[in-house]
Amino acid sequence: MSLETLCGAWLAVGLSLCIYSFLYRDNPFFKLGEHIFVGASVGYLLVITYHEVMLKKLAVPLIEQHEWRLIIPLILGLLLLARFLPRLAWTSRLTFAFILGVSSGVAIPRLLSSFVLQQVQGTLKPLVTVGPAGISFGLAELNTVLILIGVVSVLVYFFFSVEHTGSVRRVARVGSCFLMISFGAAFGYTVMARMSLLIGRFDELILYATPEYGYATVWLLGLVTGGLVWWQRRVRQAETQAPPDGAE
Amino acid sequence: MREFAVRLLQLDRRFIFVLMSVVTVLPLLYPLGLPVRISPETRQLYDTLERLPERSVVLLSLDFDPASKPELYPMTVSLLRHAFARNLRVVALTLWPAGTSMAESAVTHGAEEAGKRDGTDYVFLGYGPGEANAIINIGQSLTNAFPTDYAGRKTEALPVLEGVRSLRDIDYALSLSAGFPGLDTWYVYGKEKYGFELGGGCTAVSAPKFYPLLQTGQITGLLGGLRGAAEYETLLNQAGKATAGMDAQSATHFLIIGLIIVCNVCYLLSGRKE
Amino acid sequence: MHFWQQSLPLLITCVFGLALVLQYYVPHPASENFLQEISLWSQIIAGFAIVLGVGSLLSAHYQKIARQEAGWGYSAVLFVSLLTVFGAGLWAEGKAEGTFFGWLYDYVLVALQGTMFSLLAFFVASAAYRAFRARTLEATILLSAAVLVMAGRVPLGESLLPGIGALADWIMTVPNTAAQRGILIGVSLGAIATSIKIIFGIERAYLGRGDGA
Repeated sequence: MSLETLCGAWLAVGLSLCIYSFLYRDNPFFKLGEHIFVGASVGYLLVITYHEVMLKKLAVPLIEQHEWRLIIPLILGLLLLARFLPRLAWTSRLTFAFILGVSSGVAIPRLLSSFVLQQVQGTLKPLVTVGPAGISFGLAELNTVLILIGVVSVLVYFFFSVEHTGSVRRVARVGSCFLMISFGAAFGYTVMARMSLLIGRFDELILYATPEYGYATVWLLGLVTGGLVWWQRRVRQAETQAPPDGAE
Repeated sequence: MREFAVRLLQLDRRFIFVLMSVVTVLPLLYPLGLPVRISPETRQLYDTLERLPERSVVLLSLDFDPASKPELYPMTVSLLRHAFARNLRVVALTLWPAGTSMAESAVTHGAEEAGKRDGTDYVFLGYGPGEANAIINIGQSLTNAFPTDYAGRKTEALPVLEGVRSLRDIDYALSLSAGFPGLDTWYVYGKEKYGFELGGGCTAVSAPKFYPLLQTGQITGLLGGLRGAAEYETLLNQAGKATAGMDAQSATHFLIIGLIIVCNVCYLLSGRKE
Repeated sequence: MHFWQQSLPLLITCVFGLALVLQYYVPHPASENFLQEISLWSQIIAGFAIVLGVGSLLSAHYQKIARQEAGWGYSAVLFVSLLTVFGAGLWAEGKAEGTFFGWLYDYVLVALQGTMFSLLAFFVASAAYRAFRARTLEATILLSAAVLVMAGRVPLGESLLPGIGALADWIMTVPNTAAQRGILIGVSLGAIATSIKIIFGIERAYLGRGDGA
């Protein structure tokens, strides 16, 4: 194994354990890991933005291929950065106006078609099947009926322009039951997602606990735990030595 | 009994944390290897890829960052293996800046493993900024959206993109999404106008919202979370990271179910006191 | 000045908004070229938006260091890690494979981001124990659906309780689909209404205060 991989493994384990130390309570190890995380993420974002946007999409076409029309997004982009200059901050509104106009205009017809019309079409299906043997109503048709009832009742539940009394209240109650089933399912899936992330990290920490990696996880777990104990003692000492509330 | 129930309800959360750690680690060290059932939505995605003729173009949009790596990276590996084994052309990109290096590494390693040539059998285009605008731009003209690939080669001249001018020429697009922009963005701003076949995978947390799109046929196939990835590995008969994690997934799910049952029993025994 | 600060932005939003709505229904080559050009411009502006966001974050941390506020050392750590990754990225010309930049990505960024989000697993478990109680009918339905889906989506559940996998599938494809569709239609109609309000200048919060800030 290369020295790079070994050093990388130790660094990754150390940083991961700093973050996990938060499970005990907020502490300097966690804060350190947290700030390295933010700094590294932002640094990476800037590098990708510089190479993939500023160079490839703007500088190269503008300077090498003389695509002068790109001066317009360049100016709009620079106006956005004018927010850092208090006297010129208002000019960023022109760019925000452009962004909002474009995103609204693009979204309206597409959302209407994708998530309203096609979803309504998917709900309004034949409730019985008519075949050579006559009319039949099976499990598939029952599910179609249930989906129709569910969609209508959920929409009624979210329709606040009408007071929820009488029959509207009863329909809304059915809608809330459908919503609860969906939220329960969503919770089940959320658990699944979070556990997957934990499994992924633990899998790596177990790998780095092997002799091949110099027992990185074991050593660093001891080190971080020792550090937490030392820090906790210092905090307790500081608390006992501090004057009571209100005393100078 | 009542006092005991009240005390149990006030259990220090760090006890639950320790329990969770133990329950996760043990199956990873001593796996049971329980069989994974294939769900219809995973089968649908697999069958769609199987039906594509050789040299068809598959667009793989890896719309995630390292935060979702445990769930979506195994899917990426499996889908690349399947596409390369079927001798399909793979056009990969990402709409998430923080996922760029991970996406590049996944595609490169997948291609190396299958013995595929960069530029001829596959290409990694890099990061497409602007979320929905990136999709629209590719939909209008791929070479305009990506004049060069991630390695800096002119996309016009790449054999892998022969006959591919826009999203209309894509045979099957797959988005592995961890949020926005992701699979639904590809539908609204891509398939809705340019009419290609669309499927994909997502983190488990966002899976429930894609079921209405599955039912209407707006998306063809869905891999939901680590479970979806494990199902795909089973279909390919190539057990990987996702399958290895399934036992731990089972154990943690049953721990949570156990915690819910214990807390509700204690809640009832305590006379419904908080 | 009122024209430049108030009227012009409203005019830009209205013109581009209406033009892009109409563009969708007029697939003429000229209108398609217009869409392509606008989407490219938006992509470039998105790059500047990232710089704006990063700039705001860094200015907050810079002020913390300059004033030596509590925890300013952590802000300094943030700057050091940012500059290290940024410098390594520029040196490697953005390429990760076999570079120090790639090494930082693999062992710092991937490890930290993965761990940070995996922390939530512990808090989900704790929240399930503390808050998931069958107090009402709705809460009981939610709880039951969650338990069925959790058990039905893992191999252990399917081995212990035959048929629970199919039941979890049904929950996802019927009641969950119905509820999610209701939400999807509602949210989409809301987004469309908001977009219309923005285009016609009824919603103008993006203009900020009237003093030009």
